[in-house]
Amino acid sequence: MIPEIFEYHVPETLQEAARLAAQYAEDGKLLAGGHSLIPMMKLRLSSPKHLIDLSRLEELRYVREQDGKIEIGAMTTHFQAVYSSLLKEKCPLLPETARAIGDVQVRNKGTIGGSLAHADPAGDWAAAAVALDAELKGVSIAGERWIPVAAFFLDLFTTSLNSGEILAAVRFPMIPGRSGDAYVKHSHPASGFAVVGVAARVTLDEKGAVEEARVGITGLGSKPYRARAVETAIAAKSPSNKNLEAAAGHAAEGIDATSDLYASEEYRAHLARVYTLRALALAVERAGEI
Amino acid sequence: MKMEGTYEVPAPREVVYAHLLDPEKLAQALPGCKKLEPSPDGSYHAEMTVGIGAIKGSYHGRVEILDQVPPERFRMMVNGQGKGGFLKGEGTLALTDSAGGTTVHYSGDAQVGGIFAAVGQRMIQAATKQILREFFQAFAKLLQQAPPAQ
Repeated sequence: MIPEIFEYHVPETLQEAARLAAQYAEDGKLLAGGHSLIPMMKLRLSSPKHLIDLSRLEELRYVREQDGKIEIGAMTTHFQAVYSSLLKEKCPLLPETARAIGDVQVRNKGTIGGSLAHADPAGDWAAAAVALDAELKGVSIAGERWIPVAAFFLDLFTTSLNSGEILAAVRFPMIPGRSGDAYVKHSHPASGFAVVGVAARVTLDEKGAVEEARVGITGLGSKPYRARAVETAIAAKSPSNKNLEAAAGHAAEGIDATSDLYASEEYRAHLARVYTLRALALAVERAGEI
Repeated sequence: MKMEGTYEVPAPREVVYAHLLDPEKLAQALPGCKKLEPSPDGSYHAEMTVGIGAIKGSYHGRVEILDQVPPERFRMMVNGQGKGGFLKGEGTLALTDSAGGTTVHYSGDAQVGGIFAAVGQRMIQAATKQILREFFQAFAKLLQQAPPAQ
């Protein structure tokens, strides 16, 4: 099918985009990479009457160090994240996450902002954002604000961005010393979506015990979450396989797991535990590398 | 697809039961509900916009209420369709007293088909749960605004 008829707007500046987003808040939609929205429009699952294309906003394509953090413009593509040397050096979880998204075509067009704002329950970026306590910048004609990730993902495809508000940037903490990052995912064999995806950052202390573990999980429930039970279970412990496995055992705790044709609730929860162990082990191994 | 769950509603059982079976109140509570009208055969004709995020669609359908045991339980059959697909469902709603008011237990079976079911199969269950959550949230809000039971 082809989409229903719509008006197509191409703002040249973020200000103009914000004006259009406010004007068409009711029946308009922002377009970033389009690999989630356009297929939905072609199937007529979503039929916005106005499409506001953000692709000319070069001011939103950047990766930089700002005030001791890594800031990424919302229109930065997954491809750009994969090959960013700044990210590879200072926040390696991000290129590894981006590399796992979709396929080449999706990575060339898809953007970090679009992915986070779309809030697919199996979105890969969401796991990293949640694990690292990211902050998300919302811009509208009313002004701008930074939203902590804990207040961002509300439910399936639902974020706390207001109507007419554009996600403009995402901010992450850099990787500290004695730390390792890892993103591992169980990909659906046909779609490539994360059946479960686990992002982990582990920091060790001078004795080699776990000083801090951060674990973000996507694909298990209707929104991504911090697996705090896992983090608490491994804190201050030696990262032996036995301890990591015991900690990973808490991965699916308290989550209403999704069930579909590919994976039942029980299997998904099982996958969450298995992949949490893998992510932790990989992060620990990398933390030990000079 | 089996659906099962509970939801806490801050009102006494009799009030909750009455509201659940009152088409005017329900029409107010259901987000996106454009019409909920009784039909001559005792069932209800519903027209509503249902959706999550950007995926919204208009649906129309028939709702039948059966086996009423006020203020404890009733059975419901739903048959709806729209651009995104169709839904056939049957469920039981049972009400029990709780500390905060009433616990609504819902359990049922739903068959979903059409485009959304075909491309969105991995999310059908989560999406249905979200719609139910939104319904109960709106319903609870409506009950809070209701005048106290006589």
